[in-house]
Amino acid sequence: MDPGTGARKERPKPREPAARLEKVKQRSAQQELKQRQRAEIYALNRVMTELEQQQFDSFCKQMQGSGE
Amino acid sequence: PFFVNRGGLPVDEPTWERMWRHVGRIHPEGDQVAQRIRGAADLPKIPIPSVPVFQPSTPIPERLEAVQRYIRELQYNHTGTQFFEIKKSRPLTGLMDLAKEMTKEALPIKCLEAVILGIYLTNNMTTLDRFPISFKTHFSGNYFRHIVLGVNFGGRYGALGISRREELMYKAPVFRTLSELVFDFEEAYRRCWHTLKKVKLGHCVSHDPHSVEQIEWKHSVLDLDKLTREDFRKELERHARDMRLKIGKGTGPPSPTKDRKKDVSSPQRGQASPHRRNSRGDRRPSGEKKPADSKAMPDLNGYQIRV
Repeated sequence: MDPGTGARKERPKPREPAARLEKVKQRSAQQELKQRQRAEIYALNRVMTELEQQQFDSFCKQMQGSGE
Repeated sequence: PFFVNRGGLPVDEPTWERMWRHVGRIHPEGDQVAQRIRGAADLPKIPIPSVPVFQPSTPIPERLEAVQRYIRELQYNHTGTQFFEIKKSRPLTGLMDLAKEMTKEALPIKCLEAVILGIYLTNNMTTLDRFPISFKTHFSGNYFRHIVLGVNFGGRYGALGISRREELMYKAPVFRTLSELVFDFEEAYRRCWHTLKKVKLGHCVSHDPHSVEQIEWKHSVLDLDKLTREDFRKELERHARDMRLKIGKGTGPPSPTKDRKKDVSSPQRGQASPHRRNSRGDRRPSGEKKPADSKAMPDLNGYQIRV
């Protein structure tokens, strides 16, 4: 019996090449970045929404004050 | 300025930095806004809204409310950077892919994105007609553009969409005519000091999410400076008739004139048609037209009521 054959059969798999594992890692990092960005976007949107509302309210008061 | 993220998600670094620089320029607290948020460890976790799913027995008006709630939950995008790039000339199938991405990424959106999303979320409502309605308005020396998704269910008109202003988005399908719907928008604009200048009405959008058709955004273009009130109403109703008859521009020649009366709905009209005139050309408002809006607006550091 060829000793190489037995050794090949017993070699543990995963067969996934390193490149594929790297891709999985990158995808995971991308996903984390997206989640982080999403959280910051909504936090920013809250601030900017409040600003817009304040400015709109002030403007409406001015318009009403000027007898529009 | 109006920034668009053209690199997909996650947002690439140049676009991300541009977003924050813009915020720093326009917010009274400047760069402090970015300092408070960027890298903060305690930002609230925003759940991803669930796309509405309906039982077959759910009435259409109720479904529309649910779709609108979903759109609203994404929030209007006040950041100054639009996160999804929409090319209006893309085939419908591509736009539907983008809509699907919007539901997965769940970020704040603006009016055009909401229209695409509205189409995506109502594709399975085959008894509901959807058509884009674009508005051009004037306020304090500037022009503003907005778009909603008009809907027609059982002869009743309504709209889906998103706007900074509550009155310029969702309309329940209760309006008996297209004119009534558009006049309602016009009145809503008037209440926030905008003067409606132009309305563009698209044709009905296919319900097939894999269609390679393009959305027809401007089947009718109505310049209010060139139309009397009655003509405006008539043109709106002509468009409504076009939609009912499902007459499109198509690729063939217009039907023979002997088969068509002068006022029959058709987009193939001559240069005399109000909506075919170049609105950038000579404008000679008649005495019946409204005078130009020349009211002076209070200057709130140049604040513009955007919609």
